[in-house]
Amino acid sequence: MRSFDFVAKRVMFAVVTVFVAITLNFVLFRTLSGDAVSALRCRQCTKEFKEYQRQELGLDKSKLEQYKVYLEDLAHGDMGKSLRSERPVTEELWAPLKNTIPMVALGTLFSIVFGILVGVVCAWRRATWADKTGLWSALGFYSMPPQWLGLLIVLFVAGAVGLPTAGIKDPTLGILGDASTWDVLVDRLRHMILPALTLGLVLYGEYALVVRSAMLETLGEDYVLTARAKGLSNWRTVRTHGFRNALLPIVTLVALSLGFIIGGSITIEYVFSYPGIGLQVVEAIDQRDYPILQGAFLLLTLSVILANLVADLLYFKLDPRVST
Amino acid sequence: MRRKTAIALAILAALILASAGCGGSSSNNATGSGGSETGNAVEGGILRVGSINYIDSFNPFHYIESQAYNAFIMLYPQLVQYDYQNGAYVIVGDLADSWDTSKDGKDWTFHLKSGTKWSDGQPMTAEDVAWTINTTVKYASGPTAVMAPALAHVKNAEATDPTTVVIHYGAPVGNALAQLEQFFVVPKHLWEKYATGDGKGLKTYAPEQDIGSMVTGGAFTLKQYEKKGTTVFLPDPNYWGEKAHVQAVALTYYTNADSMIADMKSGQVDWVDQVPFNAVDVLKKDPSIVVQQIPGAETTNITWNSNPYKDKNRELLDPQVKQALSMCVDRDKLIEVVFNGYADTVESLPGHISLYENKDLGPLEHDCAAANATLDSLGYKKGPDGTRMVPATTGKYAQPAHPMEYRIMTPTSLDFNGDRAFEIMKEGFAEAGVKVSQWVGGDSTAAYEIETTDHCDPKTNSGYTGWDIAMWDWVGYVDPDFMLSVVTKGQWCSWSDTGWDNPDYDKLYDEQGTTVDEDKRAAIVQQMEKMVYDNWLYTQLVEEQYIDAHTSGWDGMDPHLNAYAKMYWTEPHKVG
Repeated sequence: MRSFDFVAKRVMFAVVTVFVAITLNFVLFRTLSGDAVSALRCRQCTKEFKEYQRQELGLDKSKLEQYKVYLEDLAHGDMGKSLRSERPVTEELWAPLKNTIPMVALGTLFSIVFGILVGVVCAWRRATWADKTGLWSALGFYSMPPQWLGLLIVLFVAGAVGLPTAGIKDPTLGILGDASTWDVLVDRLRHMILPALTLGLVLYGEYALVVRSAMLETLGEDYVLTARAKGLSNWRTVRTHGFRNALLPIVTLVALSLGFIIGGSITIEYVFSYPGIGLQVVEAIDQRDYPILQGAFLLLTLSVILANLVADLLYFKLDPRVST
Repeated sequence: MRRKTAIALAILAALILASAGCGGSSSNNATGSGGSETGNAVEGGILRVGSINYIDSFNPFHYIESQAYNAFIMLYPQLVQYDYQNGAYVIVGDLADSWDTSKDGKDWTFHLKSGTKWSDGQPMTAEDVAWTINTTVKYASGPTAVMAPALAHVKNAEATDPTTVVIHYGAPVGNALAQLEQFFVVPKHLWEKYATGDGKGLKTYAPEQDIGSMVTGGAFTLKQYEKKGTTVFLPDPNYWGEKAHVQAVALTYYTNADSMIADMKSGQVDWVDQVPFNAVDVLKKDPSIVVQQIPGAETTNITWNSNPYKDKNRELLDPQVKQALSMCVDRDKLIEVVFNGYADTVESLPGHISLYENKDLGPLEHDCAAANATLDSLGYKKGPDGTRMVPATTGKYAQPAHPMEYRIMTPTSLDFNGDRAFEIMKEGFAEAGVKVSQWVGGDSTAAYEIETTDHCDPKTNSGYTGWDIAMWDWVGYVDPDFMLSVVTKGQWCSWSDTGWDNPDYDKLYDEQGTTVDEDKRAAIVQQMEKMVYDNWLYTQLVEEQYIDAHTSGWDGMDPHLNAYAKMYWTEPHKVG
């Protein structure tokens, strides 16, 4: 029964958070100066064209009416149409999302693997050269703004290793002949490596530091001392008694940092001209494309809330104290 | 475990080593202005173009981005287009071979090339031209509003035979050919199904969503479209004009110029259509890259709020005050520091690119002593802290005595270092005893909202309050009509960023628009430029140079033709 209460409370909390986020998404972007029509800065955008567009896009209606329409549409699963391209928001977001997910997944995987490895090694070999090197590298990458690190990689690494710095596809691939699936796959991966590496390095720093700290705390516990006294091998002590108990803060961190991962990918995608959700958001802000912004941030909100919900439920599994 | 840690450390080491080893440079291989012809032309090859502008649409009735306009030039026929010959822009035929006009200037007859075809093999005739014109005029206040300005004053068009089209204007139009240069013809047999009812289909049709059924009639066809990636164009075998030398043009969008320049240096881009000022010197040192620089069309200015109905800081409506403050700004320093030397001084609003530039304006001298003398003579005495005071005034727009302290708004979307430019202005203004602070106005949209103000309405003369000085830019065009329009009352709350209201100027604007005689029109235009200059609506600071770069394996690129002619992409070729 207590388990049911815990899960129900968490789910209710998530639902309320989503509704608040939906409303905030609507209000916040409209506090920006101008709208999608006044954002049109082209020579051919005459007064007549702007007036016509304002009517067509419903921007001549009051904010309250626009909010009602937004909620009604959302209740029907319709996120509206982009004010710039006039295509459905779901279509406009899906294509960039498809590009972002593998890049973010690759970067996150890199950061989790290396963050945990370096964190564990640092704690295990505390105060040795391995600890110092790992600690300083983690601090270094953690303190770097993602876009700055990205620019360094563009300027100094890309050329040296022969990897592309922009887009998701070689401009010449498949132009004069058909490209095989393998060629396309390799090409995509090549374009993904540098942005994923940038994201991965920044996250790696954070993960390594937290893992190191959690491991140090755990390795100082009495039960670890007992395990050592029992004659368990060093490796087994670290793996089964240390690492397993240090997992809780790591799970929380990964879930909490999902928002940062997507947020961080905005600047990284901008640096690498990577046509993902981050680039789409930057463009939508510039163009005051409210439906795209609302849709993108709703997705972000949902993904963060979902990740936190999953983390809560994982806690339920990992930590018996939660359910008792 | 240790091995994996070592890998992570190796990556860190590689980053550091790479950064240490990549700072070298090589010798200079820059060219002067204009395309150079070296080596033998070789047919074929994929021309990889890098750009910081993207294509948002392939529908000429519904687009916003300038790169889309460039794509239309390559994909759709125009009656006429610009060419750059002997140091000047001239109108030449595209689909039209020749043209003539009636004595009253109201009827223009275009004689089209014969035997022309669309990309699907259908014949391209005068009927296509007449239909596109009549459809654009029919829906001008709605779905075709974007292309309608190119047909200002057009009543209708008729195809008198398959190769002759007559355009009837309601009034003589001084710049009819320059306007038609911005008009694209679409195939009637594909588009007429969208021109029914309220015509919304004309706007919502997105050819790029089904490239296979897209019909074009220019030098290229569309092979592949990625809005934020690479768009590929193939030469159209049905094109009637000079065929392209290349097998394909792959236009790649970059969100930031640094990546684009890095890709060019590493051989992944052949041609960059706009090089940022801070990258020019680096590219010039690379022997495998050819840099071309020409006078550009973009001018940077101090924009003065010239709304005659504004209620604060009205001393800034006085042209003498604006001129005096402008004289304290060191434009040469601005060019050297902000634009790395890749800009020139400019005086007129439409700039050097304009056909009718008034060359008698200015030049604005950097003479702050004279400026101080002017301000002294106007009664703006310096206070104890060195800041000048404005005496109290009476009357409808009475204002109390106040120090000459202002905010200068700078948008964040400038393509140069606005903060540094502001500092140079601030230094100059301080010499004149005027204190200024920077007001970062946000992106273009936010900054423009500040300029025009909420609830802007020309009928009640409301708007254009709450700011005094801004720093921004304009991009001029060969025909000065648009640039002249931006200070008319008709553009209040739209393109006007000064809030000026001068009926005499507006009358001249209308007059130049209907003056067919070129010399007479030039005289009116130059008179208008002088009015803008004498009233100091803008202090024109500099005109940015337009700089492009290509690798030495290519040639035939002429930056003058960018956004003007199909030759811009048909002439480039590999060199053997």
